[in-house]
Amino acid sequence: MSAYPETVVDKILEVTLRSNKFAYFAIDENGRLFRQGGEIAATGFPQWKPGQSILDDALFLSGYVPMSRDYECIESYQAGDDSIFDVHLFKDQEQIWILLIDKTSDMEWESAARQQANELRLLKQQAAQAGSVGDQDSDPHTHFDFFESRLNMMALSANDDGSFARLEPVSERFKRLYPESTESARALYPQQKFPFVENFLIDAAEVWQAGDDKRRVRSGPWVETDGNTEVALEAIALNWKGSKLLFLEILDESYRLNQSFLQIGREGVLLNRVLEDEVRKQTREIRAREEEIALRLVCAADSRDDGETGSHIRRLGLYSELIAQQLGWSNADAEEIRIAAPMHDIGKIGIPDHILKKPGQLTESEFEIMKLHPEIGGRILSNSETPLVQMARDICLGHHEKWDGSGYPHGLAGENIPISARIVAIVDVFDALIHKRVYKNEMPVDEAIALMLEGSGSHFDPDLLDLFLSLKEKLTEIAFDYSNPIGDDLTRAASIIDDIHLLRPGD
Amino acid sequence: MSKFKVCMLGAFAVGKTSLVQRYVHSLFSDRYQTTLGVRIDKKSLRLAERPIEVILWDLAGEDDFINVRGSYLRGSAGGVLVADGTRAETLDIVFKLKDKLFHEVGEVPVILIVNKSDLRDNWTIEAQRIEALRDEGWQVIETSAKDSSNVDQAFESLAEQMLVSLS
Repeated sequence: MSAYPETVVDKILEVTLRSNKFAYFAIDENGRLFRQGGEIAATGFPQWKPGQSILDDALFLSGYVPMSRDYECIESYQAGDDSIFDVHLFKDQEQIWILLIDKTSDMEWESAARQQANELRLLKQQAAQAGSVGDQDSDPHTHFDFFESRLNMMALSANDDGSFARLEPVSERFKRLYPESTESARALYPQQKFPFVENFLIDAAEVWQAGDDKRRVRSGPWVETDGNTEVALEAIALNWKGSKLLFLEILDESYRLNQSFLQIGREGVLLNRVLEDEVRKQTREIRAREEEIALRLVCAADSRDDGETGSHIRRLGLYSELIAQQLGWSNADAEEIRIAAPMHDIGKIGIPDHILKKPGQLTESEFEIMKLHPEIGGRILSNSETPLVQMARDICLGHHEKWDGSGYPHGLAGENIPISARIVAIVDVFDALIHKRVYKNEMPVDEAIALMLEGSGSHFDPDLLDLFLSLKEKLTEIAFDYSNPIGDDLTRAASIIDDIHLLRPGD
Repeated sequence: MSKFKVCMLGAFAVGKTSLVQRYVHSLFSDRYQTTLGVRIDKKSLRLAERPIEVILWDLAGEDDFINVRGSYLRGSAGGVLVADGTRAETLDIVFKLKDKLFHEVGEVPVILIVNKSDLRDNWTIEAQRIEALRDEGWQVIETSAKDSSNVDQAFESLAEQMLVSLS
């Protein structure tokens, strides 16, 4: 006995993959059976015994055995018990292999499919004749097209007692999803099987009560899960010639397609967010680095002035930022003034030590030299296209100007003085008054405020001063409670620079 | 057996489906899989010797593309409002959805889950904000669907509240 012919093996593999039951039989040219197998060989053909001829019993073989060709196929052979087979005959040397493939369930399914498609085609034609509303969700065509092609839908008719009757045979997929639906004698309660349907029936009832054949409602998709499998469904309710119909549709591809569109859109949003966060983080890091460099350099420049400390310039920036925020500046602009304000006295780098560090009062000529520091600072920071540096220049040049025009270096008045400089003019005086310097004691906050109020409208912009004073609590917090390690570090840096000056007295 | 419908509500990608998967099936996947429509899952449990079944309606996250349908909220006995600790803006959507839920079914028990505690270093919802919400009367539970911390407690806490409101 030779091995199984390859053609037979291939065919068996194919039908196995398709989950069809099958039987195979090997006979000689006289019809004597010598080999058999397959799921239905024993159960479907128990009368066929090895060594006996089957030709008298297997009527479908008449005319085919003995075989004149290598292969023959008899499609959809209906046996006496109404089962349906495809019969494949293979000639292999002196043997004939008979492969019976049970197509009964396929045929039932095809028959039901054909019936459903025909009925739905009829419904569709009638619905089209009755006229449809323009909304795609309500278009009867969209309800039925996929039905015809895929049969992923179950049609039910609502009874008055809350149960449903099945309208057509149930497709294989619905049998698996909703096994109770195959019991045709019983009334069905899909609302008990699917909580989603229970909820949807409230919307469906509205449509059914309206009794209008043109109205229909779709539930939107839902997914049933049982831990291992997931099935996406949608329910549709409509009236049809007095019947209240409920369709349950398995969505398959359309669900996956819409889901993937949504997924792509949302992943895009999430990715953008991650990128924006990264840009913000990088920008913050760059800003912090810039600020620290600026503060350390400013502190180095100011270190020759015994009165200034790293904490002072740090606080100046924070006061200014607070006022800017109250004025409604953007975060970016408020940040800029926080960094730019500390540079207000950078021009003092050009003032000789004997004037800058003079312990007593300056003479008139010495004061004239001291009054040059805004312009020196302005020159240091001139010709920049960077907004931050431009703001620092404005502050340098304008922080000794006065509202009434009596300040220096240019005697600007009112709003001709850049607002950034007007802000720094206020916070610089405030911080100087309430903190101790080598040449003076600190002044109580209320006393300092009273003194500053005397300068409202003359020295200071009155509106800005009012705003400033309204922030007294927060300003005081910055002044005394603000923990400022950068300021301390800067003070230490200034001390190191002082040491360098001491080591190099000729500078 | 008492049955409770519970809606999972929140912005997209906050971890609603992951929380349900963790709670019901003890599973977690790092892969983000968006939900379209509603996913229905069930969990049976015993609370105070009473068997109850929680039917979880995991609703598609609210965003520019999707709005939660009011009809989906109908009959809810409780709500799980979910925010993502790493995305502070998802908290604002939670407040909006809570209003929508209460509008549809009245003031049912809700819990606020701030998810992704395994990524706490990246949280943008600050601890003070969460404390302030607790002071306002919110029950806030910080969870991780990934490492399962506080997930069971969150759902069971809500179930207890629903039982109390039932009695």
